[in-house]
Amino acid sequence: MKYIPTIGIECHVQLSTKTKLFSEVDNDARGKEPNSCVSPVDYALPGMLPRLNGEAIKFAIRAGKAMNCKINAHSRFDRKHYFYPDSPKGYQITQFYQPIIGAGYVELPSGTKVHIEHAHLEGDAGKLTHFDNYSLVDLNRVDTPLIEIVSMPDIHSAKDAHDYCKELWRLMCFAGVTNGDLYNGNMRFDVNTSIAPEGSKKLGTRTEVKNLNSFRSVERAVEYEIARQTKILEAGEKVVQQTLGWNDATGKTTAQRSKEEAKDYRYMPEPDLPPINLSEEFIEKEAAKLPPMPADYRKKFGNVISGDTLEVLLDYPALMKKLDEVCSEYVKSMSNLFASVLLAEEKSAEYLSDLPSAKDLNELCEMNEKKELSSTATKEVFLRLFDPQMKNRGAKNIAKELGLIQENDLGALEAIIDTVLQKPETKKAQEDYKNGEEKVIGFLVGQVMKESHGKANPSAVQEILRKKLK
Amino acid sequence: MEINCETIKHLAKLSDFALSEKETEALTGDLKNIIGYISQLDELDTEGVEPTYQVFEMDNVWRDDEIIDQEASREDLLALTKEEKENQIKVPRVL
Repeated sequence: MKYIPTIGIECHVQLSTKTKLFSEVDNDARGKEPNSCVSPVDYALPGMLPRLNGEAIKFAIRAGKAMNCKINAHSRFDRKHYFYPDSPKGYQITQFYQPIIGAGYVELPSGTKVHIEHAHLEGDAGKLTHFDNYSLVDLNRVDTPLIEIVSMPDIHSAKDAHDYCKELWRLMCFAGVTNGDLYNGNMRFDVNTSIAPEGSKKLGTRTEVKNLNSFRSVERAVEYEIARQTKILEAGEKVVQQTLGWNDATGKTTAQRSKEEAKDYRYMPEPDLPPINLSEEFIEKEAAKLPPMPADYRKKFGNVISGDTLEVLLDYPALMKKLDEVCSEYVKSMSNLFASVLLAEEKSAEYLSDLPSAKDLNELCEMNEKKELSSTATKEVFLRLFDPQMKNRGAKNIAKELGLIQENDLGALEAIIDTVLQKPETKKAQEDYKNGEEKVIGFLVGQVMKESHGKANPSAVQEILRKKLK
Repeated sequence: MEINCETIKHLAKLSDFALSEKETEALTGDLKNIIGYISQLDELDTEGVEPTYQVFEMDNVWRDDEIIDQEASREDLLALTKEEKENQIKVPRVL
């Protein structure tokens, strides 16, 4: 029997605001000592009041708009109670009843639409490190702003699950709401998978694989779950609804120890935080700050840049923004330089944070277009534009200083060629060529290149030589 | 809603409280009284009335996204914990 998988994904995105969601504490704990980014609000001293970070609301609006979502004019916070050492308050402040982000959709590169059920703001929990017989608690991450994005069960393959997570990551990075560092858990995915016989109207029993932090592991975990569940159903057994963990090394999901009691979070309205009421103007003002999204770039450049190159570049918002600033006639050659030269560099990450100006890039492409620079020379000048010693001089000056400008002036070229043809040592080659020895043209071009100190454009030289020796 | 000793035991477990039988009994009585008192509101017809989530009629109380140095230090935090190790809070192994 053929089974159709159905997949829904919850994604937590850490927002890159300066401060936490409810306290005026540094939200960027990268490279900082444990428990050094905490306030009494974070560690829940009695009587402490949370104070809502207005920037997180603006980030949420932008994130929502990036996913074509409705922004709810009225939203508010609730307490979700649970006891665990990662949460000193004993509850998480979240938006259970009235989330800020409503329904929308994400369009995958393939054109498939995955609908968003809603997304809400909430505080992250602290970090636990487990040892043999104790655990250590670091509260730096407590109340880092998160948005949790809940998809509809619209996904039906492991590849689409992968593509959805990757597209979400791109959307959040382009919208500028997260640092997007997956390795450090800036985005984490919980994946619900079930399978049902083809044609069945009822969904199968689902399992939830929690806390995946790479697109690849999402894809592999879904593949594994589909295979595992298929095997169970084919053996006439039943899939058990459970929460699973993923082991990247073994490539398997394993049951996490189930909590002895059913979930009972005792949600209640958060009394310390007044509700959020957004005017249409406020929402529109924030939405207008949203830069072009990957889908916009696909529309704009889809006919100019090859699909593969475009999808590679779409992982880098800064490159797409730069490409958008470059003259439209140079977009194609620039995209190739970005994809095959810049991204191949060892220091590409460093380079990406400080790209050359559009003016320099246009100048470079223009020189290449006019054949003043060979393709090798174009690459060389391009890389020099990232060299702190040289970059400020501009593309044209760098090309000149390095002596890379090709001689294209036909008058000047002809003069050089005539000089070479006058030389006795070229006479024999000229005779040979006239007698039908095609390949000696290479020798003559070489002589001209030498005479021009390598600045002549070889293809132009060859063309003129052929005419002269006819 | 029936409140009995099992209710209190369930809630205590969710909050990881250790309660003696005597405390459980006392709290059962207390909670019954509290819920009973609040339940008087059930006599009112609230059909079509929007729930009240807060009584101050405030909204949009936000702050700027600026870091402010905290008077309380990590040492103050760690001083409140039972046990610490490497600047972290040490707890019995969980999960």
